[in-house]
Amino acid sequence: MQLEIKNLTFAYNKKEANIVDNFNLEVKKGEVVALVGASGSGKSTVLRLTAGLEIPDSGKISIAGQTVAGDHKFRAAEKREVGMVFQDYALFPHLSVEKNIAFGIDHLSKDRRKARVKELLKLVNLEGFEKRYPHQLSGGQQQRIALARTLAPGPKLLLLDEPFSNLDAELKDKIRGELNQIIKEIGVTTILVSHDREDAEFMQAREIIMN
Amino acid sequence: MQLLKKLKKASPGWFLLTVGIIILLLIPNLNIIINLFGEAGENWEHVRNYLLVNYFQNSLILVLATGLLAAFLGAGLAWVIAAYNFPGRDFLSWGLILPLAIPPYIGAYVYQGMFSYTGPLQTFLRNKFQLRLSQQYFDFMNIRGAIFIYTIFLFPYVFLMTRAFLSKQSASLLESSRLLGKSDNTIFFKIILPLSRGAVVAGSSLVMMEVLNDYGVVKYFGISTFTTAIFKSWFGMGDLPTSVRLAVMAMLVIFVVLFIEKLLRGGRKYSYSTSNIRPVSRRKLEGSRKVLAQLFTYGVFFFGFLLPTVQLLYWSFLSRGGGLMETLHFAFTSFLTGGGAAVLILTGAVIIATTARMSSNFVSNLLARITILGYSIPGAVIAVGVLLFMLQLDGVLSFLQTGFGIEANVVLSSTLVMLIFAYAVRFMGIAFNSVNSGYEKIGESYFEASRTLGKGVTETFFKIDLPMLKPALMSGFLLVFIEIMKELPLTMILRPFNFDTLATKAFEYASDEMIYRAADLSLVLIFFSAAAIYLITHHRRRKNNAVRN
Repeated sequence: MQLEIKNLTFAYNKKEANIVDNFNLEVKKGEVVALVGASGSGKSTVLRLTAGLEIPDSGKISIAGQTVAGDHKFRAAEKREVGMVFQDYALFPHLSVEKNIAFGIDHLSKDRRKARVKELLKLVNLEGFEKRYPHQLSGGQQQRIALARTLAPGPKLLLLDEPFSNLDAELKDKIRGELNQIIKEIGVTTILVSHDREDAEFMQAREIIMN
Repeated sequence: MQLLKKLKKASPGWFLLTVGIIILLLIPNLNIIINLFGEAGENWEHVRNYLLVNYFQNSLILVLATGLLAAFLGAGLAWVIAAYNFPGRDFLSWGLILPLAIPPYIGAYVYQGMFSYTGPLQTFLRNKFQLRLSQQYFDFMNIRGAIFIYTIFLFPYVFLMTRAFLSKQSASLLESSRLLGKSDNTIFFKIILPLSRGAVVAGSSLVMMEVLNDYGVVKYFGISTFTTAIFKSWFGMGDLPTSVRLAVMAMLVIFVVLFIEKLLRGGRKYSYSTSNIRPVSRRKLEGSRKVLAQLFTYGVFFFGFLLPTVQLLYWSFLSRGGGLMETLHFAFTSFLTGGGAAVLILTGAVIIATTARMSSNFVSNLLARITILGYSIPGAVIAVGVLLFMLQLDGVLSFLQTGFGIEANVVLSSTLVMLIFAYAVRFMGIAFNSVNSGYEKIGESYFEASRTLGKGVTETFFKIDLPMLKPALMSGFLLVFIEIMKELPLTMILRPFNFDTLATKAFEYASDEMIYRAADLSLVLIFFSAAAIYLITHHRRRKNNAVRN
């Protein structure tokens, strides 16, 4: 199992009801899973817990056979090798496209880093965009750069938080197709969150309805 | 797991550093309260029996009257600027902040000088019209005069907060009221004022705190308040226990103010049922209403900035640059002290704000509250607390030095270290607020994105947070810098021997009736403050435009 979640429970606030309550999930290596549900169903929270951005109240999360949360252990986000594309992309505005993508791979030598950035830009079909800045990109381009940045370190898991919510209808079809192709091409285990079941079908994902 | 959740993502290093700073900020204030239970000073009996009522009365009258007047003036101006278009409006939208560049104690001696028997107004009336009016018409040096001075130079706090609030209000609110047949006056009193009550009260309570903090105006006008009393008992009588007791009393007045604020703000919080907020479109004014709006806004600008500045320029011209070298010297000292202290304070504020951001709501609210506490406590009170703390530290130091046989004789009291520490206690809140609102604007996703890309808290801070915080750091620095440049009570009490800033020297000259000498120093001070205000407001505006484009 690439991801194993057992009896996961979480509340943002003690006074509120659990937003994630006894949640279980198993994802095989290379599988694409879609968590579908209305807002407030806790689907994004599951992603944040998996990434290590929130600390669970109880339950257990294992990634590639290693426990990252639970059993009195908590592995910080930066040590989980989980990639996440944020809903608003969160491209660092003060860094160029090249530096954004290279952000997570600065342990590589300069030449290998450069080659890796080039390879990823090719993957997302934005060759030659190295020197641009995020505000010079369209919404669709920003998303592809965010994807490239997330894939650069070779994460064990790819998490996509509402990847199509900021795109207009026409662009959406195109991006869904491209994204699907990229994910299949590199075979990364993927969990995407969406409020729209159509997204899950389009991405040929195993659907999990949350409520 | 639960404890971890409470601290959330804060790393232990950041947290410990923050706790250290917070303890340092708290000690001086706690010190005062602890010392209250010590033995009373020899003058306390006298102060309590004959003077205390007077201090309370004067302080309360000044605080409440100024708070009320500044609230109306600031809110009215904010409404005119936010809702109408008329020639000069764009300039006035920041020009009306400029009175803040003139410290009230400078405004006080300028107005007193203008209205005095030998001042330009009476001289003019005497020479041109042979008018010799009774001096009581021109008497500025009383409570009414002080209220006028405070109001005209401090109202921008209310103006700024209310304007910021109004500019975020939905246009449809205003337009639907207009369509419902309400006149603009009705809209102002029935819709705008109740809605912006929180902002007006918040601005007004800032004004009240500034009034309580002030030493210069009341000292110059000979009005006894807590601040002047603390000075007198410490400087005049060398009676620290009595100053401590007075400081506690002054804190009581602060709690009254804070309580009133809470009461007036009420538990109500209005929020919109829609997220689609279109900013208010300003209505163009014509005819008599245009003239009225201009008279009102330009009038306030005239009395709050233009007139005193021109008067100072004239006095400075009369002195013909006599004290140029001296002015440069004090400008340099002020600049260095203010700049250095502001950098230190900002560093502390960034550490606290970064930890607060990574902590749970409870912890971060607590941190915010403690940090802002110092700004609501009058400078003279903080000075007493810091002095007590430094004397204790000196005791420890001398014990250590004799214990280890070192003959260094290091002392902290009456050094620049003590003064800068006191600035930090008082102004950390301002810097913290700037950094914090910077963090709020940035949001969390950049931080989180960096974490998921394998960077720890500290690396993320240096690579992502710090560069993105730059505008907030800039405005935080400028705000703290001008506050320190203008600061009087702390500096007067805690400065090292023979150490003067533009503020203390200008005040000294003015008190000695050497108005021409004071004018040069005041002008430099006002120039720096005005430049900082210009930079802050125009930087913000540029950024807003960039976002809109």
